[in-house]
Amino acid sequence: MMELAARLPLRDTIAPAQQGELVVAVQRAFAEETPVYPIGGGTSLDFGLPAADEGIALQLSGLDRVIDYPARDMTITVEAGMTMTRLAETLAAEGQRLPVDVPDPDRATLGGVIATNTSGPRRYGQGTMRDYVIGISAVDGRGVLFKGGGRVVKNVAGYDFCKLLTGSLGTLGIISQVTLKVRPVPRASRLLATPVNGWNEGRQRLEALASGAARPVAIEWLIGPAWSDDPALVSAAEGTCGRLVVGLEGTVDEVDWMEQELNRHWDELGAAAWSTIVDDAAPALWRRLTDFPANPDAPLVVKANVAPSYTTSYLQRLQIIDPDCSVQAHAGSGIIVCRFSPTPPAQGYEQIFPLGLVPEATMGQGSVVVLGGRVTRELPPPAIWGKPTTAWKWMTRVKQQFDPKNLLNRGRFVYEH
Amino acid sequence: MIAQRFPELVRELQRVVGHDGVLAAQSELVVYECDGYVIDKNSPDVVVFPRTTEHVAQIVRLCNEHDVPFLPRGAGTSLAGGCLPVGGGVMIVLTRMKEILEIHLHDRYAVVQPGVVNIHLTQKLKGSGYHYAPDPSSQGACTIGGNFATNSGGPHTLKYGVTVNHVLGVEAVLADGSVVQFGGPAEDYPGLDLPGVLVGSEGTLAIATRLWVRLTRDPQGYRTLLAVFDSVDDATNAISEVIAAGIVPAALEMMDQGILVALEEAFHFGFPLDAEAILLIEVDGLEAGLDAQRDEIIELCQRSGAREVRRAETAAERQKLWKARKQAFGAVGRLSPSYCTQDGVVPRTKLPHMLRRIAEIGSRHDVRVVNVFHAGDGNLHPILLFDERDQAQVRRVLEASEEILDECIACGGSVTGEHGIGVEKLDFMPRLFAAEDLAAMDRLRIAFNPDGRLSPHKMLPTAGACSIEQSSPQRRAAL
Repeated sequence: MMELAARLPLRDTIAPAQQGELVVAVQRAFAEETPVYPIGGGTSLDFGLPAADEGIALQLSGLDRVIDYPARDMTITVEAGMTMTRLAETLAAEGQRLPVDVPDPDRATLGGVIATNTSGPRRYGQGTMRDYVIGISAVDGRGVLFKGGGRVVKNVAGYDFCKLLTGSLGTLGIISQVTLKVRPVPRASRLLATPVNGWNEGRQRLEALASGAARPVAIEWLIGPAWSDDPALVSAAEGTCGRLVVGLEGTVDEVDWMEQELNRHWDELGAAAWSTIVDDAAPALWRRLTDFPANPDAPLVVKANVAPSYTTSYLQRLQIIDPDCSVQAHAGSGIIVCRFSPTPPAQGYEQIFPLGLVPEATMGQGSVVVLGGRVTRELPPPAIWGKPTTAWKWMTRVKQQFDPKNLLNRGRFVYEH
Repeated sequence: MIAQRFPELVRELQRVVGHDGVLAAQSELVVYECDGYVIDKNSPDVVVFPRTTEHVAQIVRLCNEHDVPFLPRGAGTSLAGGCLPVGGGVMIVLTRMKEILEIHLHDRYAVVQPGVVNIHLTQKLKGSGYHYAPDPSSQGACTIGGNFATNSGGPHTLKYGVTVNHVLGVEAVLADGSVVQFGGPAEDYPGLDLPGVLVGSEGTLAIATRLWVRLTRDPQGYRTLLAVFDSVDDATNAISEVIAAGIVPAALEMMDQGILVALEEAFHFGFPLDAEAILLIEVDGLEAGLDAQRDEIIELCQRSGAREVRRAETAAERQKLWKARKQAFGAVGRLSPSYCTQDGVVPRTKLPHMLRRIAEIGSRHDVRVVNVFHAGDGNLHPILLFDERDQAQVRRVLEASEEILDECIACGGSVTGEHGIGVEKLDFMPRLFAAEDLAAMDRLRIAFNPDGRLSPHKMLPTAGACSIEQSSPQRRAAL
């Protein structure tokens, strides 16, 4: 817990073993007006604005029971402190999975993943947490346990608290229990890579992938030193603008056909053939594709969201800002994660936001947020969540209703302060 | 009548949208007295047809100035009274905002006005290789704004999800008349997922005036099967077997004997009239995987006791099967003058139990019930047949419906999978949710709609507006 205290202003840590204890702890904090910092695996504590006010940590990893797993209904109800690895193991025993990629799954908890809306390469084909959470329980800022949704895969009774809490960074309620819709594990999975030479070529290749007959589950554009020497990719040529990597999933026949089709398509375009990542190396590459945003050594990691067709332009701009940065674009979804190089940009980290990252994201009809990195705490607050919009006023109104004393992760999210 | 009480409001509304955009005569208003839920009816006092976002904002501001309740309406095909104007007031009908504004295939989204009819978007996309996935049975009439309000589903939600999985962003007029955009063409905007929260809020939090919706690639191919069973249990068992095999069909629909007879009389599709249940099963995706999936499904159905499994061999045959499914509700008119459809959901594995209970409840209340529903999702649509002129029948239908929905709750399910709470199922909310859950929902409503003028008396038992007396007290929340 040393590490926790160094990252949050904590006077105490409480680790409830039951939902009831969580309720009591928040009720006491409400009575005493003590800020509360919910903690899952502690993997995303740098995400968001730094906490300023001293408070208590609520460590949720003790809430980790499976409540109900009717596998034939393809749903599972678990407590939110369960780690993603344990959840995956539980599901794998029935040939099922939650197809959302999460860094550091041995530590990351389901509640934390939902609160931060974490996702990875498979989001292009499989969606994000909002597509899988069908029931949720949480403790609001008064210490009241409330729930929404249910345990069935289709349900429109009442307001959708599953959507409200997904991505809310624990600021409206501390997620205590979750029901998920799950999917069968695909029978086959494969990764292929192809070089990208020049930005125009990259743009064209992305369009070809988006409209081609093969339906990848992931379309990743990987550029920079972090990927150049990747052990799984060394046998796949790297172009002047890195590589495209696609993930294929489905039945064996489907995956075989998609691989053939991609090669046929690339041949037709006059492009180099795809390199198939050998089966032994593929799981490790999936893992690195998933873990990339969580690298603790980078000085700064940002995530931009733009209309997918603007991905190439955004990548070009990143190369101008920091020619040695490493980038992973979930290119089919317009989500771009950039790890900056150890060399600080000439104009300083603070200035790259108003001078480059933010206006470029605005051009792409999106925005940019800081995921983490050493210099995060030195950045001015507006850099962290990007440019406020009129929508934030309404988010603040929701916050006031669910946490009237502003105790839950105070000061760390987008709200108007 | 507001038209008499607030002549000034009517004049002001006319100034905003023109004389042809305002209805205030009783004879014209009666068209808007209900949606597809016909047991409660109440006319609005004024109907207004905006053509722009600014019109909607001005209308809302005028309603607030005059302290009059207001609510949005699309095509009025909803089935739970979601656009029933409880207490009267101003109804904002969005059907003149029907432009498809932008289509971006590479970015997989379209921007539409709320009055666009669901199928018009898919028709517009025909040949592009993309479609709009949510396909409620009413898609030929219902609007995308209405789909947004009710989080509509349809047969293909099993694989593709419901409306909320296909809405990226919304421009909305809020209860105070402000115009705000939540979300947009990109994914993962910072902050709360308010588009996700507004979808399915049944018009009680915001009025959508522009929507960014996800477009879905057309599948390369389909395999559509019709499996005929001699018992309902065998059919539901086959469903479990298919799902357990790791196959996610695009659609998995069930029709029982009662509905088959009606369909056959109406359309002569050639269904076997002595079958207890048929399953309409469709898999879609890459051609490379489809034959194997089809064969596996056929085998699983046969192993579960299917008498016969027919294949749609051509696109025309496939369309015929889907036409049968989508016109099932229309065919019910042959069975009785009125019907009431319920929308309960149970875990898939509870379907055999639930269907037995529905039959038993129907016979105990002397109400004929037929079933056509989204079996793969566990989303039942028992259709209770009656004559609305006979009050005794109406009462029995209400009692039977209530028992069916209570049984869904007892099975760990929900009282609505896609139709919504509206006014119809208000009384079920306290059975489905604890007081603390409802209080939390009320707080969310207060954040957006603090005065309760926007669509009062919907969704939440506490969601009343205090300023207007209900002009025609009804049996609201009877079901």
